[in-house]
Parts: sequence; C-alpha cells; structure tokens
Amino acid sequence: MSQQSTKKGEMDLPVRLRYKETKREKTGVFFKKKVGWLFIIISVIAITIFNFYPMVQAFLLSFQSGMGGNLEYVGLENWKRLFGDPTFIAALTNTSIYLLIQVPLMIVLALFFSVLLNDPKLKFRGFFRIAIFLPCVTSLVAYSVIFKYLFGIDGIINQFLLNFGFIPETINFLADPFWAKVVIILAITWRWTGYNMIFYLAALQNVDKSIYEAARIDGANAFQQFFQITVPMLKPIILFTSITSTIGTLQIFDEIVNITNGGPGNATISISQYIYNLSFEYTPDFGYASTVSYVIVILVVILSIIQFRVAGERK
Amino acid sequence: MKSLKRIFIYTFLSLAAIVSIFPFLWMLVSITNKSVDVTQGRLLPGTHLIENMKTLFATVDIVPALANSAIIAVITTVLTLLLASLAGYGFEIHRSRGKDIVFNILLLSMMIPFAAIMVPLYRMFGSISDTAPLIGIDSLGAVILPTATTAFFIFFFRQNTKMFPKDLVEAGRIDGLSELGVFFRIYMPTMKTTYAAAAIITFMNSWNNYLWPLVILQSPEKRTIPLLISNLGSSYSPDYGVIMSAIVIATLPTALVFFLMQKHFVAGMMGSVKG
Amino acid sequence: MKKFYLMLLLAVGMLVLAACSSGDEEASGGSGSEGSSGTDTITAWAWDPAFNIAALEKAKEAYNGDGEFEVEIIENAQDDIIQKLNTGLSSGTTKGMPNIVLIEDYRAQSFLQAYPDAFHPLTDVIEASDFAEYKIATTSHEGEQYGLPFDSGVAALYVRTDYLEEAGYTVEDVTNITWDEYIEIGKKVKETTGKNMLTLDPNDLAQVRMMIQTNGSWYVDEDGSTPNLADNETLAKAFETYKKMMDADIAKIVSDWSQFVGAFNSGDVASVPTGNWITPSVKQGADQSGNWAVVPMPRLDMDGAVNASNLGGSSWYVLNVDGKEEAADFMLNTFGSNPDLYQTLVKDIGALGTYSPAAEGDAYAVEDEFFGGQQLITDLSTWTDEIPAVNYGLHTYAIEDILVTGMQDYLNGAELTTVLENVQGQAEAQLK
Repeated sequence: MSQQSTKKGEMDLPVRLRYKETKREKTGVFFKKKVGWLFIIISVIAITIFNFYPMVQAFLLSFQSGMGGNLEYVGLENWKRLFGDPTFIAALTNTSIYLLIQVPLMIVLALFFSVLLNDPKLKFRGFFRIAIFLPCVTSLVAYSVIFKYLFGIDGIINQFLLNFGFIPETINFLADPFWAKVVIILAITWRWTGYNMIFYLAALQNVDKSIYEAARIDGANAFQQFFQITVPMLKPIILFTSITSTIGTLQIFDEIVNITNGGPGNATISISQYIYNLSFEYTPDFGYASTVSYVIVILVVILSIIQFRVAGERK
Repeated sequence: MKSLKRIFIYTFLSLAAIVSIFPFLWMLVSITNKSVDVTQGRLLPGTHLIENMKTLFATVDIVPALANSAIIAVITTVLTLLLASLAGYGFEIHRSRGKDIVFNILLLSMMIPFAAIMVPLYRMFGSISDTAPLIGIDSLGAVILPTATTAFFIFFFRQNTKMFPKDLVEAGRIDGLSELGVFFRIYMPTMKTTYAAAAIITFMNSWNNYLWPLVILQSPEKRTIPLLISNLGSSYSPDYGVIMSAIVIATLPTALVFFLMQKHFVAGMMGSVKG
Repeated sequence: MKKFYLMLLLAVGMLVLAACSSGDEEASGGSGSEGSSGTDTITAWAWDPAFNIAALEKAKEAYNGDGEFEVEIIENAQDDIIQKLNTGLSSGTTKGMPNIVLIEDYRAQSFLQAYPDAFHPLTDVIEASDFAEYKIATTSHEGEQYGLPFDSGVAALYVRTDYLEEAGYTVEDVTNITWDEYIEIGKKVKETTGKNMLTLDPNDLAQVRMMIQTNGSWYVDEDGSTPNLADNETLAKAFETYKKMMDADIAKIVSDWSQFVGAFNSGDVASVPTGNWITPSVKQGADQSGNWAVVPMPRLDMDGAVNASNLGGSSWYVLNVDGKEEAADFMLNTFGSNPDLYQTLVKDIGALGTYSPAAEGDAYAVEDEFFGGQQLITDLSTWTDEIPAVNYGLHTYAIEDILVTGMQDYLNGAELTTVLENVQGQAEAQLK
C-alpha cells in the first residue's frame, strides 16, 4: 500500500486512471489493459457506493460533535479530545497489546496446524480439521459462558494449576487487569486460529508437490522444507492473513463484550467497544465515535504499509 | 525417532482438538439441560432435550428465520465468490500500475469499523426505499448488497492468484479461449480449493452477520437467525436451555458447510490440471 | 471483446435479479408490517415476551378507544432496540421506525435530548400526576411529558428465610435496616450457614446506583448533565459501604447475568437486593417455595435516606411519525387510564405498573405462596410510592463505566477522596 494511495480522491478514480492509461498505451496492448479493468469494474463501483461513500461521510462526521441528531462542526476538537480521554487511551493501549501478542501467535499456530493437517498420511485428518475449525462457529454465548467458568475463581483452570502446584493460591483471572488480558488473548486466539488455518490449508493445495519431492531427495528435513519451501510459497497468503488479522484484532469487539465487557475497570476495553459505547451505550456522539474509528483506519494503514514492505511486495 | 515424532504429533493434535471442541460439546450437552443447570455450567447431559425443543418451537418461528438466513447466505456467497474472484484475477493477471493503485485504495475500505459507516449506509438505503423497495429498508436485498462486495475477498483471491501458474493463461489464449473463457474454463477449476475456502468463510460471515441485518430489517418475518437468538436472550428471565437449543440449530449449517468444503482441500489439484 | 462484456453483464444481471426476486417473495409474503408509515397499523417495540410484550398484548385486548387500527407488537432485544432507534433517528429516516417504543428510564433523557423532534409529547394526553412521582422527572423534558410511565423498578431485598433462621434472624430483623446492619447480619449468616449474603459483579455498579437513590442522590446534578462525584457525600458513603461488603467477605463474585441468576437459583446466597422484576427468576427455583420473603431495600446510614429505591424500569414513548395520534390514543386508552388493565397485568404477568389509581384493586392484595403468603404486590406498590425522585440525566452508563475503574482503585487501597476526584476529572473530560 503506497502512501499516495491513501490521499487520492477516492470517488472517481477508476475513470480518471483509465483515461490516463488510454493515452499512454498503444492500441495493441490497450485491449489487454482494458479487459483487465472489466474484471474489476463491478467490484470497484459497488465498493465505492457501499463503502467509500459512507466512509467519506464518516470522515466528515469526525469533525463534528454533539448529541444524537444535534451535530455541529467543531474542527479538530475531537482529535484533540482523543489525547485527553483516559478511556480512549486505555482502549488504544489494550488493543495494541492484543495486536502485538495475539496476531503473531495466531499466525504461527495456524500455519503450523495447516502443515500438520495437510499431511495425506495423517489419520483422522478430517476430524482434526473440523475440530480446529469448530471454535469459529461455536456460538459466542456458549463459549463465553464456558470461558468464564473455566477461568472462574473455582474453575477448572484454577483447580488444575493449584493441584499441580503451579500457583500458591487461586487467581481471580477475570478480575485481575493482567490476567483478564491474558484470557482475552487466549480467547481470540482460540476462536480465530482455525479460521486462518483454512486460508493456509487451501493455499497449500496449490503448492506443487514435486518441489517437496525434489527437496527430500536433496536431503532437506521437515523443518528445512517448512522454512525453505512452505513459508516462501505461502508468502502471499501469510501477508493476507497477517493484514486481515491485524484489522480483525484492531476491531475486536465480540469476545471482549461477552467475556469481560471491558473490565475489570477498563483493563480489557477495546477501541471498537469504545466506539460502540460512544454510539449506543452512552448518549450517542456519532461525531466523536467517527474520530475514534478513523484512529483504527490510520493504524491499519500504517501497519499494512509496514507488512507489505516486509513482505517485499512493492516493486 | 520417526515413531516418536508421530506420537508427538498425534498427542499435540489431540490436545488441540480437545481444547477446540470442548465448548462446542458443552453447547451440545447444554441443550439437554434445564436453564438452571446451564447457568451453572453443568457438564453432564440431562433429560430436558425434548422439553427445550418444544418450548423453542412454540415460542419462536425458527424455520422462517433459518430460511431467511439461508437465502441471504447463499446469494451472498455466490455473489461474493464471483465478483471477488473476477476482481482478484483481474488485479493480478492484468496487473498494471493504475490497477495497483485502485487495489490499494480498495483495501482501505476494510479498515474502518462497520459501526462507523452504518448510519450513512442506513440513510442511503432509507433514501432509495420508496423508489426501489426491493433493496430498501426491510428488504433482504439491502442485507446482501453491502456485504456481497468486500475488499477482503478481492485481496484473498488476488493473493491466491499469485500462486496460479500464469503460463496457463497464455496456453488458454493460444487455444482460442476468450478472456472470460480463460477465467471460467481454466482459472476457476484450477483454483477450486481457493473457492472452497472462500465459500466457507463468506457463508459463515453472512450466516453470523448481526449488526447490519439488525438495523436494516424491521419485520419479524424477515429476521435472520442471529437476530432471533438475540431476542431469545432479551428477557429478564431468559431460558438458557432454550437459547442453547436455538444456538445449536443455528450452528449446524456452518459446521456442515465446512465439513463438505474441506474435502476439497486435497493435495494435487494443480498437478491434475497441468497433466 | 463485446461478447466478454455481454457475458459478464448477463452473469451479474442474473445474480442481481435472483437476489431481488427472492427479496420480492419475502416482501410480498410479509404481513402489513410496512404499515408503520400508514395509519391503519401502528407498531410497538418492546423486549420481554414474558413481561412487557405480554403487557402490550393485554393492552391490545383492553383497548376501549374509538380508533380503528391494528396494533402490531414486535419483539426486539433491548440492546437491539437502542441500536435500531439510534441508527434510524440519527439518519433522519423515519421509515422503519415504530410508533410506540419502550425505553429504559436511565436512557430516556439521552433519547429525548439527542433527538428533540423525534418524540411526540403526551403532556395533553395523559395525567402525569396519576403516576409514581419518581417516574415523571425522568420521562419528561423541558416541561413536556413524553413518556408514559410503565413498570416500577422498585428495589427490594429478597431473603432466604430458612438461612436467616439458621443464623438466628427473623424477617423483622432484616426489615427497614441500614446497609451497615445488613453487612453485620451477612457476616453472621456466613459464619453459621457458610452461605454468602449476596452476589456482586465488580463490573456492574447497580448496588451503588440503588444505594445512592435511597438518599435521593445521583451521579449528576439537577441539570442532568454535570457530573456530581467528587463532592457527593452520598456516593462516598455508598463506596465505603460497598468496600465494607467486600472486606466482610460476604459476597459471591459473579461476572454475568447467568451466574447471578444461577447463584440464587442454586441456593448459594441468602439474599438478593435488586429490582422487583427479578421475581419470576427467583420463582424458577421452585423447590425453594416458601423459603423466600421480600423486605424493603436497606438504606444508607445517612440522615434523610429511606428504605426505598429503584433499579431499572421503563416507560412507553410515542414517536413523531405517521400514526402518532393513533398511537397516543392507544396509549391513553390502555396504560394511560385503565386501572383494570393494571389488575390484569399484575394477575397474569406479575408486572407492577406505576399508575397510582390501580393500587386499590383486588389483584394487588393477592397472597403469594412462594413468598410464604406475603402480599407481595401491595408491599412493592407501597414502596414504589416512597422512592426518592431523582433526575437520572444523560450519562448514567457513561459515568458508571468510569466509576467501575474508580471502584477497582478504591478496593485496591486508594484513598477515597482521591478516587472520587479522579473520576470527577475523568467524567468532566469525557462528557463534553
């Protein structure tokens, strides 16, 4: 993602670009180029209408403030307000912690599972696959009840740790600011690893088997094969999952609302939960909520640029 | 050494499977229990299954809600798969500087939390409601449209197309296939597993989608499954046995879709086409 | 080239058509729910089928006005109603909005002030003085009465008589007590029975909310928006009491609603101090019938505090959309003036209204065997009249989220005055 692209006017871009292309290209190549545009044009129009148009309106809203329908322009006031808002800062800090620990953990786990579960010699492969996938279809209601019991003060986890002498006394996981974050990170990872595994599993089918055979003949062991073939081959998908997981974790909402509801205090509140609270839980201020939303956009843009750079996808 | 490794792998996978399945199993068990037992996290099956089912079917119209969710999910899945793969293919195979810029801009659209664009989107659908009621407020069309085109899957298909052997495209052209012919006859069959993965995820996203259907749908008979479940939990004295029963019924379709689709995740797709 | 374009268009066209036609079937198959814009059908939103939805059904039967219209009752979860209303009202699109909606009292001022023209005033329609006084402050704005008060959220202390007896107490011993006395009793109960006195959820300050209302105080000033935390003696007292309760180790910590309900259903706690709407949940523990009694809410140990408080409760609002006259007429001729309807509500649903003329009816005097033959409704109704009126204002939940953090600090040993000054500063910064 280039810096420029974020600044361009978004609405009429395809047309303008096509115009430029036609001037530059010769007619022979022109056909090929133009056909390319036809493949993407419907999506571009639809996304412009259903995403960019409301996004522009949300952007304008981020300079307004007021209760519900009584909005007025306040300039940069909302943006200044962010820095003096302890709840926002708590939400930003928590979300960053989730992101830094959870996304790498999940990506690695998902990759690991997909390689194991791609082995045609593995018995019960279908069972293991569906088992690892099940968390992301398990209802939030069900799993939040279960998580709360598991991590409850007299829950199984405490009993286990206590019996085996790992901890001297029970830990009140959900009431402790540190442990509550740990539970949230575990919960997100638990729920979304299988989801990301699907992307890898599908992509692994498109990797040419003969490369592995050649490597085996050359004497490469499983680890070498993994790092020298699998990872480089899957790089586009790893990039895809790390960017989408970054977005997903920065917008994390369901797990937190259902398991800790942001508590204890604001120890686990996420940015998206705060946006929700500003829009619906408190007296609604859609202007300020938009400002907070755009903080997520800015963060994702920056992180995506970094990830694209690291992946070396820029020419 | 080799058998040790195998033991390790199976132990590891079994542990992971137990951890993953446990809440799901509990969910299944809880539909046989009374509300009081569910709230206490009872792990053993009870004898309340028939009672829970009876109450569920007596209190809510779950079948129409399942039908609504199914209609929406199937149409959304087909539309998403087609449009996103066309675009992903176009961006990668017919790559150009201009398209790369457009692509990067498209990616921006998935970065904003949905809650932030919901009000403008609602206003938009509100303003066309009178002229085009089929895609206006309280229509299934309005649920589908904003969700059927997402940069997420365009990105997904584009990244997967990077692994697609480009010489196949040239080969197709030489065989006299049109550009669209190459896409439908060569690209689509070759990328079967990619489509399978995308189908699982789109179906699941659409099936579980909550916020947008909630605000845009008004009539009770158009409700989708997540909205119905939300209602079940809204009472001051909710019956958790019944709620769990509804949840289990609502979960099975996505699990089934996964089970059917994962069978396509079998190595060697590429080879067969090439050979 | 042309062929390609055509094929593409065709493929997409077909899909869109498929999408629309299926939408079409649905639309034509639906009953007259689009009627919310017409005047022959009015729609009403509420959330609990066993409670306020059932009350609407009864109201529909009891309607005796001259209006000729259908009332369509639509069930939506409370949070869902809030989201739908906010989205609809702020987008300025009245399409799809209901004619009548139930809103929780704590949120009423937010909606009335955030969307000033969205609600239809009922000032000339109903007689506000017929309703419990404490409901009026929160359902009116700038001299206009907007809400039609519905259920009483009168708080009460549900006690296990068998546990109390085991610890050497009678029901009289827990009647009209202070929270300090309650804590002492709780210690004794725990000592003798091993049971906790109550459940507490550290993320939910409902206890604090109920405590301060016993002394007629709230989180905000009279104006409904200025945070009143640092210099609020009542709040300080409530914080101290809450800490005493934690220190005395008489509370079972829960983290959500299901655990809260689970705790008293399984006999883990000796009392439940909460709103009277919990009655059906308490009765779910059928094996405990006869072992429960309901007494007035404990009060803070302060001059002027009374043994009456409130938790939750909600009121009906008419939206300023087509059909508002009909909706207002429906409201007037049901909840607004029909004492018999309130008898039905009590008898059939167990819903206690706040319409004073209804209190003399027979249904209110009925004896409840589950609670040892207590005339529960009469008692609750009496306590409803004593609830101190406060203006809940705009920011109940926003301030409470800040207070939860403050409470954590306080429980972990921070100085109370510092904590309250901190939360005051935070609230002022956040609520601009």
